[in-house]
Amino acid sequence: MSAMAVEPPSATDAESLSRLIAAVARQDRDAFAALFGYFAPRVKTFLIRSGVNESGADELAQETLLVVWRKAAQFDPVTTGATAWIFTIARNLRIDALRRERRAGTLDASFDLEAFADERPPPDNAIDAAQSQERLSAALAQLNEDQARVIELSFFEDKAHGEIARLLQIPLGTVKSRVRLAMSRLRSLLDEAR
Amino acid sequence: MTIRHHPSDDMLQAYAAGTLDEGQRIAVATHMRTCARCSGWVSALEQVGACMLERLPPTAMSMDALDRVLGRLSALPPPPAGAIFDDVPGLPAFVRRYRFGQWTWVGPGVHLRPIELPVDSPTRVFLLKAVPGTRMLQHSHTDLELTCVLSGAFRHQGGYFGPGDFDLGDEDVEHQPLVEPGEDCICLVAMQGKLRLSGLLGRLMQPFVRL
Repeated sequence: MSAMAVEPPSATDAESLSRLIAAVARQDRDAFAALFGYFAPRVKTFLIRSGVNESGADELAQETLLVVWRKAAQFDPVTTGATAWIFTIARNLRIDALRRERRAGTLDASFDLEAFADERPPPDNAIDAAQSQERLSAALAQLNEDQARVIELSFFEDKAHGEIARLLQIPLGTVKSRVRLAMSRLRSLLDEAR
Repeated sequence: MTIRHHPSDDMLQAYAAGTLDEGQRIAVATHMRTCARCSGWVSALEQVGACMLERLPPTAMSMDALDRVLGRLSALPPPPAGAIFDDVPGLPAFVRRYRFGQWTWVGPGVHLRPIELPVDSPTRVFLLKAVPGTRMLQHSHTDLELTCVLSGAFRHQGGYFGPGDFDLGDEDVEHQPLVEPGEDCICLVAMQGKLRLSGLLGRLMQPFVRL
């Protein structure tokens, strides 16, 4: 069986993704293959754009989904969105990989994801992940195209700022202030929605 | 607990993006442990990261990728290594698994305890403990110094800093923190700078003066 043969989930809304993770927590391999088919190729793109080479990105995307398998029982759809959860796993593996400057082919089972387990107090006012996702989507929709773009691109390393500058055809020096502006607008939109 | 001083939005964004160096990441994580406002914002930013991830075009995985992962599903994850440090409350669990040095006297009423980072970081991290009434002179550093209060409190021109509060100093800041009466003030400090490890102790001893 190859990765290409696996059908991605027919619906990729948050709810069906959360259901797949719940099934993975019950050791459902088909659900795992479906999650893999949807997420691994996107995580791979994320890693490549973060400066990881192609084969390293492939390995790390595999590793990300392996962590999903191991930690699926800890996933709480009420407090976290499925994609946000997987994004943080991929991000943490990327931190780990980039700072150890692992070379492709040297990956083993020694990832120490516990080193990323930050603790967070419950939010100010009790809203669940679905509500906050809704608010966030609404707030993002109110940003203009450039603002939404710089926010998305800011999830990559600083060196990607040159890329942002090229894409948006603005001087490099204004990228940081553009990111800052977009962020504070997003934040005030979210605060208003409370 | 009222938290009055927070990391900058830039720093929280870098935390969510995973682009902070390890030392700074520890300082922000320590603050977030008690700050609902900042951890809520970071969670929101991670959702933005999720939107970004979903919008990325997929890159084909290698042909045997899924099979290889399926073959590894039953393998057990490696057990976490190392002892847990719990002498000082208020530190995130992941930090407590790092190696802690000994408390070292660095000046009247002031002790320092280094935290050994598992990776290279331009930022050095240590605990700083000062008795009430200690006045510390701002030492010079070439870059950022982040401080998160764990217990006790200090005050300087920038205001009052109690448990959970986050202070940022750079070369432009000339604060003279004064430790508030009551209990010892223990802070986690993440400091960037060009100090060399060999001369560290001597250089650190200079800045602390008790009035």
